[in-house]
Amino acid sequence: MHKDRKIRILIAKIGCDIHERGALTLLYTFRDAGMEAIYTGRYQTPEAVATAAIDEDVDIIALSDHTGSMPIIAASVLEELKKRNVEDIRIMTGGLISIDDAKVLDEMGVWGNYAPGTPLDVIVEHVKTLVQGNK
Amino acid sequence: MKDRNVSVDRKFGHMVRTATQSHIELKPHYGPEDVKGISYEADRGNPGEYPFTRGLYPDMYRDRLWLKSFIVSYSTPEETNEAFRKYIANGMTDLRLLADLPTQSGIDPDHPFAWNSMMCGGVATYALPVYDRMLEGVPMENVVCELAHSSISNFIYFYSLLVALMENRGLDITQLRGNSINDPVRAKLVYASPDFPTNIARRVCLDHIEYSVRHTPKWRPFAPNGVDPCQGGMDAVRELGGCLAVATAICSDLTERGISIDDYGAMVFSLDAESDFFETIAKFRAARMMWAKLAREKLGAKTKKAMQLKIGIRTSGLSLQSQKPLNNAARVTLQILSCVMGGVNSLDASSIDEAIGLPSYEARVFNLDTQHIITHEANVPLVADPLAGSYYLEWLTSKLEKRVNTYLDEVEARGGIFECLESGWLNGIMEENRLRIQREKADGKRLIVGVNAFQDEGEEGPINGAIRGVAYKAPPETLREERVREVKAFKEGRDQEELKRSLKQLYDDTKDGQNVTRPIIDAAKTGATLGEVTGVIRLAYGIPYDPFEQMDTPTYVHQSLEDLK
Repeated sequence: MHKDRKIRILIAKIGCDIHERGALTLLYTFRDAGMEAIYTGRYQTPEAVATAAIDEDVDIIALSDHTGSMPIIAASVLEELKKRNVEDIRIMTGGLISIDDAKVLDEMGVWGNYAPGTPLDVIVEHVKTLVQGNK
Repeated sequence: MKDRNVSVDRKFGHMVRTATQSHIELKPHYGPEDVKGISYEADRGNPGEYPFTRGLYPDMYRDRLWLKSFIVSYSTPEETNEAFRKYIANGMTDLRLLADLPTQSGIDPDHPFAWNSMMCGGVATYALPVYDRMLEGVPMENVVCELAHSSISNFIYFYSLLVALMENRGLDITQLRGNSINDPVRAKLVYASPDFPTNIARRVCLDHIEYSVRHTPKWRPFAPNGVDPCQGGMDAVRELGGCLAVATAICSDLTERGISIDDYGAMVFSLDAESDFFETIAKFRAARMMWAKLAREKLGAKTKKAMQLKIGIRTSGLSLQSQKPLNNAARVTLQILSCVMGGVNSLDASSIDEAIGLPSYEARVFNLDTQHIITHEANVPLVADPLAGSYYLEWLTSKLEKRVNTYLDEVEARGGIFECLESGWLNGIMEENRLRIQREKADGKRLIVGVNAFQDEGEEGPINGAIRGVAYKAPPETLREERVREVKAFKEGRDQEELKRSLKQLYDDTKDGQNVTRPIIDAAKTGATLGEVTGVIRLAYGIPYDPFEQMDTPTYVHQSLEDLK
């Protein structure tokens, strides 16, 4: 990865969850932090998100969900990335994530699972760390 | 010993704002000169008198307390039924019905797209038997039901299920009470509802209203919603302005169908109780006044009823925080208090654990008890509109009225609310304000306790920890699998000939421009699901059956439209 390359991040929502404010908040937060942030919009499939991540050449997919189903959603995206041999794309999550769900996600290799109201600079720092670890 | 000294900061926790949540700049105090332009007769009136600023009834809450409600919708119809029974026993008087998120998008649980959010946020109410189980033993003639879903397909379908259920149980449908939000602008603006494009949504919305006005007069089939636009970023001015603009547009549409505003009767708005205490109270007062003036002066209302605005509330979910969730008890209590002081008619208060998961039973009973305490211990509802005459509140009420009128003029100049939706202008202003708020929070100009100020140092205590532990969890995949099997078996077990005939009838009536409500009620009785009803209406408009274009038209649906030609 080129040193001056901006961090590229795809914010994605999968399934029928309608809560969008967290995703939109992060979209602008990442852009303000100098990253290339792209938002898929709502009602996406895991397949479409994996494809978009490759097409947009992103470093990270940030999944947003407020249904309490994040472990199911993250697993489906990980599977699609695996199918496409792009397991170097990292996943992080945000939304309605219980402490138990965060543990499950951690074990799946999904690091950075944030509940609503997490300080935005904490999330931005995490993205930077995740990308650096990926170099 | 030196390092044990503490220093006191007299300025610690001082205010950082001089404006309301909606950016109305305030003076340190208000006096008689600030309310000089207000006419008591024309702009306020006694409670129960035009323009109803001070409330709809002369005796207000002595006559009838506000309805106490919540959305009750857990993963299964059985759990939901059980919950209804418990909350009714604790004083709930208004049943808000909802469905899981795939249903709200217009699809059935066996749709490939449903899996990730199936049974989340509510029951997968795909067909009549599910409603029957969910409402088993609940009286349907004397209870107020509200449909709080997001998309227009849902309102007409679930209203139809309620009617079908009453007819099947031998009950009188004219006794059906309650309301549907049925707001096509909110469906697109906030939810980007995939079920119907706006032109179809607007027609189906009107069909639902028209049928209801003629057959279920106690049902309010339309309740413009400001709550969700407000949660999406609109301020109080645009929230209220949006409701008034949508109500005006729909009332004009109804006139074309031969239904006057007097035929329609009282209007209901679903408004947001936000954290800004006085602004929220002023908003409710301004809402009643502005609707009364608009109904009489612009829409030609002659009856008192048609000038009356009932206000249904959902307190702000967005104001609740997952950090130190106990603090949400203070937030919700203040929001409930603003509702009671603002004279609202029904109140759905959020729960302290709602930023963590679906509300738990205890958290909801706490909400009901808060309302009982406000009533019986604090004696707040004894006197109507208790803050009337406050220089500040009266000034703020009129200030909101002026700002909302300016906004309405702007919407009008841009071609009306539907044009503002289609052009993306509404989305633009919602986004602009959302960003403004986000930046204010980042810059410390808007403090949220426990989030960007007064954060906890160290470990979370046992009370907050307990609140975090009780929130309702999303259903595991095994339950979802079970549901998909159930839906498939249900679909196969129906009388296929009856079903096909009813879908064909719906298709023809949609195409011919007939009111689609009765065909949907009849189709529901043959077992037609929400996904099928939505899909058949879409086909009649020449667009794909599946809103997500992930699956083809099911063979039996295709056959019913072909065979019966």
